[in-house]
Amino acid sequence: MVKTNADVVGILFPNSYDSLVPELVGERLMASIPFGGRYRMVDFVLSSMVNCGIDNVSLIVRNNYLSLMDHLGSGREWDLTRKNGGLNIIPPFAEKTVKPYNGRVEALASILGFLKDQKEKYVILADTNIAANFDFNALLDTHIRSGADVTIAYTRSEIPESAKTSRDQGRDLYYTLDIADDGRVTTMYMNSTQNGEQNFSMNYYVVDRERLIDMVNVAYVRGLPFFERDLIAPHLDKLKVYAHRYNGYVARISDLKSYFDENMKLLDDANLEALFDPSPIYTKIRDDNPTRYINGAKASNVLVADGCIIEGEVENSVLFRGVKIGKGAKVRNCVLMQDTVVEEGASIEYVISDKKVVVTAGKELKGTDSFPVYVAKRQRV
Amino acid sequence: MAKEIIAMLLAGGQGSRLYTLTQNLAKPAVPFGGKYRIIDFPLSNCVNSGIDTVGILTQYQPLVLNEYIGNGQPWDLDRLHGGVHVLPPYQQASGSDWYKGTANAIYQNISFIERYDPKYVIILSGDQICKQDYSDFLRFHKEKNAEFSVAVMEVPWNEASRFGLMVADGDDRITEFQEKPENPKSNLASMGIYIFNWDILKRYLEEDEADINSENDFGKNIIPNLLKDGRSMYAYHFRGYWKDVGTIPSLWEANMEVLDPEHSGINLFDDDWKIYSRNSGMTGHKIGPGGVVENSMITDGCRIDGTVKHSILFAGVRVEAGAEVEDAVVMGGTVIKSGAVVKHCIVAENVEIGEGAVVGAMPSGDDHGVATVGNGVFIGDGAKIGPSAMVRNNVKGGEEQW
Repeated sequence: MVKTNADVVGILFPNSYDSLVPELVGERLMASIPFGGRYRMVDFVLSSMVNCGIDNVSLIVRNNYLSLMDHLGSGREWDLTRKNGGLNIIPPFAEKTVKPYNGRVEALASILGFLKDQKEKYVILADTNIAANFDFNALLDTHIRSGADVTIAYTRSEIPESAKTSRDQGRDLYYTLDIADDGRVTTMYMNSTQNGEQNFSMNYYVVDRERLIDMVNVAYVRGLPFFERDLIAPHLDKLKVYAHRYNGYVARISDLKSYFDENMKLLDDANLEALFDPSPIYTKIRDDNPTRYINGAKASNVLVADGCIIEGEVENSVLFRGVKIGKGAKVRNCVLMQDTVVEEGASIEYVISDKKVVVTAGKELKGTDSFPVYVAKRQRV
Repeated sequence: MAKEIIAMLLAGGQGSRLYTLTQNLAKPAVPFGGKYRIIDFPLSNCVNSGIDTVGILTQYQPLVLNEYIGNGQPWDLDRLHGGVHVLPPYQQASGSDWYKGTANAIYQNISFIERYDPKYVIILSGDQICKQDYSDFLRFHKEKNAEFSVAVMEVPWNEASRFGLMVADGDDRITEFQEKPENPKSNLASMGIYIFNWDILKRYLEEDEADINSENDFGKNIIPNLLKDGRSMYAYHFRGYWKDVGTIPSLWEANMEVLDPEHSGINLFDDDWKIYSRNSGMTGHKIGPGGVVENSMITDGCRIDGTVKHSILFAGVRVEAGAEVEDAVVMGGTVIKSGAVVKHCIVAENVEIGEGAVVGAMPSGDDHGVATVGNGVFIGDGAKIGPSAMVRNNVKGGEEQW
């Protein structure tokens, strides 16, 4: 399963698609959004890279990255505390003349020196808005076999409605592809509103490192900020861009509703296995004790992390670490993040509670299937 | 750089009264409380008490224990100077020897201790479940100006003769030591946890080693010798939760007590005194639509579609639909297939219990033991395991073992 020393530098963009989930990124960024009971979004792509032998990974952060730094620490849990390579978080330079980057090109331009110093032949660029147990070696194989300049991973999936209707995407563009029989990308669409299944880019790219440096150099001096829009899409006739289809399980966060739905989908054993069984997903350790079900507790169809104390009833829900559900409390169809407390007799349904939310005794809070209620971090209801 | 105090943890015990559970495993490595191993308790106590240097003395089946301890990182014991070190017996120019007794184990590692030039050494036991603040014990030791202190627990008088007892005066000064006496003069049982001034300990270890008739044991030799010489010896009263889990029933009982912290006093939900352990890294546990869980502790990786009552499940246990688990301790990776009944028992790691098999269950009202199924055992469909059985080998489908 685990190959070591892939000839790859990984580069992650933890702030990509922040604008799609404004509620969840109030005090964090896409990469540190809690997901699946005990993980954060970045764990999936980071663990996948590590499991494929990529042990030199940089994250180019833009803003709100405190929670990410706290989560990743020295990278030990991902086995990325290495003398050579390892984990590397790159904050933006704070200078009067330099603004935080917009597109990938600007982000990469800020680390050109670093890129030049690396020894690996390939670079893999990736966003963190997708939870998948991804095989980066297969992507790399496709890249090498086709002799491509750039290889893009994609899934066959529909474009989320929220992405189509959102007018405020700023830098968070998304891309769909037309692909020839030999796998070569012939057209790249930006913010398409087509219905039905599309070749939807995962924004995982393989590029030869030296090629990437050249591309970024040329684009940066011309003031072109976007890697896909400015460097790839207009040049598909000259650049050899190939596509790599991913058929595995994908949880894509495109708005609050999809966040809720993707958590809920993990209550299906088949989905849970599809996401977690191929290879381990690592995360920060919290040293919680096991979850305790006290007399009177009822639990049915729930995914629960360690450290919870459950005295009430909980059904069809995902509970993160350290959640407490008091006596007689009822929790249905909820996603409760770390250390949420639902006090005695409270009743909640279709609620997403952020970290450390308290629902006080006896209170009722109900959203609906199509519109879950979100309670922000540290709020008391 | 001198350390004020370092810990030496005796983890060489075979744990023969845990039978099949310690067949391939040192006793301190026996799983406990859903996600821990016994040794997590003394190690976490050390870190929480500010002791950052621990020598672990092993010799029986050390493989699992060595791997588990690793570099000590889960306990924050990966330190530049100090940290945790596993100390098996080793060969020296003068020859090599297994650890002959508890005192000899420390004697053979005098050079390890001297590297840290400590003022005090605390001797810990790797087979007890106990949350204890050793820094308070050390404060007592210093206040009394003691050369030796021992942690003691008050036990019921009618059970006192099962223990090593310290007879002490009103000032807690020890006047006499009775090893499992017929007529106890005290009900202060030694917990096997000692603080020594290092200079005193070293002198007595060397003298003890020179005595060819000695059994090289703290209880039998070192403590009586200290008493004989009128050393300054004190008994430190410990009033928290303490359990020697040296037998199957006591191990089962201690696990069950974890489910009732309000009465038993062993609270694992204590943010001020966390017990650290090496993490399974599995995803959260899942209770299916038909699963029932009552009064139990469940940890990461469990998949429950059957019924679980008053039980402790370790990481990655699967309970299929229609299976029943009650009053049971089920260790990591075990699979309980549909229709199986698992009651009043300890099931070790990676066991498979076939469809419709019965383990430990029996008609109510009888006073029965704790059925035990060893590591990696396969129990076939419809097999029956009696309430006091000790299962070491695979049991074929339909067979019975009592």
